[in-house]
Amino acid sequence: MKDMIRAIRACKTAAEERAVIRKESAAIRAAINENDQDYRHRNLAKLMFIHMLGYPTHFGQMECLKLIASAGFPEKRIGYLGLMLLLDERQEVLMLVTNSLKQDLNHSNQYIVGLALCALGNICSAEMARDLAPEVERLLQFRDPNIRKKAALCSIRIIKKVPDLAENFINPAAALLKEKHHGVLITGIQLCTDLCKVSPEALEYFRKKCTEGLVRTLKDIINSPYAPEYDIAGITDPFLHIRLLKLLRMLGQGDADASDTMNDVLAQVATKAESNKNAGNAILYECVETIMSIEDNGGLRVLAINILGRFLSNRDNNIRYVALNMLMKAITVDAQAVQRHRATILECVKDSDASIRKRALELVYLLVNESNVKPLTKELIEYLEVSDQEFKGELTAKVCSIVEKFSPEKIWYIDQMLKVLIEAGNFVKDEVWHALIVAISNASDLHGYTVRALYRSFQTSAEQETLVRVAVWCVGEYGDMLVNNVGVLDIEDPTTVTESDAVDVVEIAIQRHALDLTTKAMALIALLKLSSRFPSCSGRIKDIIVQYKGSFVLELQQRSLEFNSIIEKHQNIRSALVERMPVLDEATFSGRRAGSLLTTVSTSSRASHNLPNGVAKPSAAPLVDLLDLSDDAPAPSSSDGNFLHDLLGVDLAPASAQSGTNQASKAGTDVLLDLLSIGSTTPVQSNSSTPDMLSSGLDNQKQIATLDALSSPLPSAPANSSVGASSMMDLLDGFASSPSKREDNGSVHPSIVAFESSNLRVTFNFSKPPGNPQMTLIQATFINLSSDAFTDFVFQAAVPKFLQLHLDPASSNTLPASGNGSVMQSLRVTNSQHGKKSLVMRIRIAYKLNNKDMLEEGQINNFPRDL
Amino acid sequence: MLLSCRWFSIEYWYLDSNQQRIWSFPVSKIVAIVHSGSTNCKKKIHFVLLISRQGKVRLTKWYSPYSQKERTKVIRELSGVILSRGPKLCNFVEWRGYKVVYKRYASLYFCMCIDQDDNELEVLEIIHHYVEILDRYFGSVCELDLIFNFHKAYYILDELLIAGELQESSKKTVARLIAAQDSLVESAKEQASSISNIIAQATK
Repeated sequence: MKDMIRAIRACKTAAEERAVIRKESAAIRAAINENDQDYRHRNLAKLMFIHMLGYPTHFGQMECLKLIASAGFPEKRIGYLGLMLLLDERQEVLMLVTNSLKQDLNHSNQYIVGLALCALGNICSAEMARDLAPEVERLLQFRDPNIRKKAALCSIRIIKKVPDLAENFINPAAALLKEKHHGVLITGIQLCTDLCKVSPEALEYFRKKCTEGLVRTLKDIINSPYAPEYDIAGITDPFLHIRLLKLLRMLGQGDADASDTMNDVLAQVATKAESNKNAGNAILYECVETIMSIEDNGGLRVLAINILGRFLSNRDNNIRYVALNMLMKAITVDAQAVQRHRATILECVKDSDASIRKRALELVYLLVNESNVKPLTKELIEYLEVSDQEFKGELTAKVCSIVEKFSPEKIWYIDQMLKVLIEAGNFVKDEVWHALIVAISNASDLHGYTVRALYRSFQTSAEQETLVRVAVWCVGEYGDMLVNNVGVLDIEDPTTVTESDAVDVVEIAIQRHALDLTTKAMALIALLKLSSRFPSCSGRIKDIIVQYKGSFVLELQQRSLEFNSIIEKHQNIRSALVERMPVLDEATFSGRRAGSLLTTVSTSSRASHNLPNGVAKPSAAPLVDLLDLSDDAPAPSSSDGNFLHDLLGVDLAPASAQSGTNQASKAGTDVLLDLLSIGSTTPVQSNSSTPDMLSSGLDNQKQIATLDALSSPLPSAPANSSVGASSMMDLLDGFASSPSKREDNGSVHPSIVAFESSNLRVTFNFSKPPGNPQMTLIQATFINLSSDAFTDFVFQAAVPKFLQLHLDPASSNTLPASGNGSVMQSLRVTNSQHGKKSLVMRIRIAYKLNNKDMLEEGQINNFPRDL
Repeated sequence: MLLSCRWFSIEYWYLDSNQQRIWSFPVSKIVAIVHSGSTNCKKKIHFVLLISRQGKVRLTKWYSPYSQKERTKVIRELSGVILSRGPKLCNFVEWRGYKVVYKRYASLYFCMCIDQDDNELEVLEIIHHYVEILDRYFGSVCELDLIFNFHKAYYILDELLIAGELQESSKKTVARLIAAQDSLVESAKEQASSISNIIAQATK
């Protein structure tokens, strides 16, 4: 064993290490095949080491089971260790060990019982929990305290896995609270805390029966004389303190009487605990949290806030960190008191420690209100200039969000946003500068001011991409105001800008290689607009535009060609064509913004943002067609999707229907529906009820026949049956019992939170259709917890064999930020083993967050049992 | 279209709302790590990691289910974050919606992962508690002790934590329990060797 470790340590390169491991693994596998008894435990120990280094060791799993099944303590000890390391609760092999565990839990040697309990506590699955719960329950009364404490922690695992079992543990757990042995007491308290979480009855029971006893225990422990065994930094057993405080918090929350009982002792803890050592601070911290959570007591709250104030000014980074953390919770209780520490918190935003900065920034974000937004924003923007690169993104996002949310007036908003763009334009998200443009377009009295300010900042900070974009857009729209000094405000310095200066700005923007396609495309539009506004520069602008005639980027090439022809051939309509944008509607924008980013952009400023389409499919024939078309008819290039669809849909439909992609067949159907002037604008529903529909075969045939007849103008009518079927489904939608019209009068089940991550929460509501106990209808609701909208949201689910699953389409594929709306999707699950097995489901959720693909997965085990 | 799913095998079949687009992918391609799916696993230590300053793993203990792939990913990510932090900074790192509390002892970093709203200071104290017990057991412990006796380090951890919860606040009790079990192993070994002696003598 030691030799192997030495050999591995002696390896100088990863390749050498792999070679040694391969050799060892081969030797171990050979030993396993020979069923070698003597060296089994040594081999397993080696395997564990190999496992720790991250190499595959699955072939050793059965060895663990064999060792566990053997009689001696040493074999069992190593066997259980291997079991806990090499396996986890999701492996099927684990089921094989249940029987050995059961025997060991009843073993006469208490250390073997201890091993079994430890393993059970660390890796037991729901099935094992159910099987072995009676044994564990019995061991809670075992004579040796060390077994009792292990059994208590095991019980926690069991009730977490199978909450239904909680009630069996309430009484034995309450008995543990009276113990004197600290280990048992600590674990007993933990068990009670977890019982309270899973079962309201347990909470009620402990609240009535145990609150006073716990308060007494806490009092005793505070006042206990020096106990060397449990002493840490002059405090007797801080762990016990903390656990007692946690349980008291559970009991006191929402119950005035219980809170009353513990007031005295909390005050005692808060004043008595030493605050110069970590252990003491840990207790104080827990105590503050308890005070904040239990029912109101003014005096105690003041005490708690004062402790946090002391923490905040502590030199120790850890203490400051937890203070910031706790103040975030305190803000809901007493915002005024937290505001008093604003200056210190603002200092923490500038700390050198990333963890503290992050906490502080989040806290500042919560502290901002109408009255303090100006000084706070000023501070934050000043800090933006000096902050680290990696922190800038986060800081920028928060500043932008503060400015948008609390700005008292338009000019202030525009000013602050400009400052942010100058300092950290590269970190500003698309939606933020889109919002800025909308705001600018709405502030008609500030157009001149804004464009001049942008012009000046462009001279200094042309490397900030978003600044350039906004500047280019504004120069294009309001270039005349820049040159003519329209609407000068008192605070402005007078500037003189000539027409060619204005064109310079756009020219610089378009010629910088570092800037991306969007910016360049925007610049082309701006040039076109300027060519009409400044007739004297028209020739120069034409030259610039012509340079892009041969661009390899289709979008730029197209724009260049079209704009060139507008300038050359269509003088008479040019000025009308490039009039100033109509004022963008703020309400629609913010509504849309909550929805999809992409659609917002393409409709609100049609100028430049249809890019994604054009870029994604540069080789698509339709676009080329369009190009040809636009040469003789000066249609603006960025015709919206419908136009293209209308134009090309007819030709396109049969071809793409044959190609068989889902999208295309949908499009084809839509076109068909249009032709038939059915007028149904809803997209084709998923064919969840196709089987039913198809069962009436004769009808179906007839329908297709009529379709054929009606669609005679199309030479290749959709012989593709899937198109026919799905469009037919739309036709018959009125008659067929559509899934959405189901009546929910089945039995009632509580809804669950099926999945939760930092970004996303999924809740399931259940209903049962009457007369079919096997079937469950699930209404899934998705809520976005992050601060940015999700796009391209796709939910997928998988179920085991005994279940059958149907998914209906989701209500939307975009999910607005911070819980401002939700997406619904219904699922239908048929449980062929109803009553024997409960539902289980694996889910996968893909979406785009800030254009980054995200994927989350999870398994849902907490379905109500009787589904 | 209905789907079938091989639940425990390597491949999973997923179904989206268009029903047609069923595809499978191997589990090893899982990208994101999520909470084990049920929401009530709150308030506990999710895993314990010991990493050396060079980024070598010295001990790992997982109290929440993570697949082997996820484990490697977690270790790689965390060691990157933690090893790069300066000495004077606070001992907490926010990571994927969890907090990782770490403390450096000589060349080893002890890390424990907890939930957002758990008591970080207490976890720091638990780490210290563990280190003190190790120290007492090995007699001024060093990294080499933990490399060559890694199983001992695991045994001690198992006497300290079960299911990510603290089970014993007395160092003495832990030391006593470990000593008792060690002596059980010793006596079993002696017995085995004496039996083999007897057999050896008998066969002579």
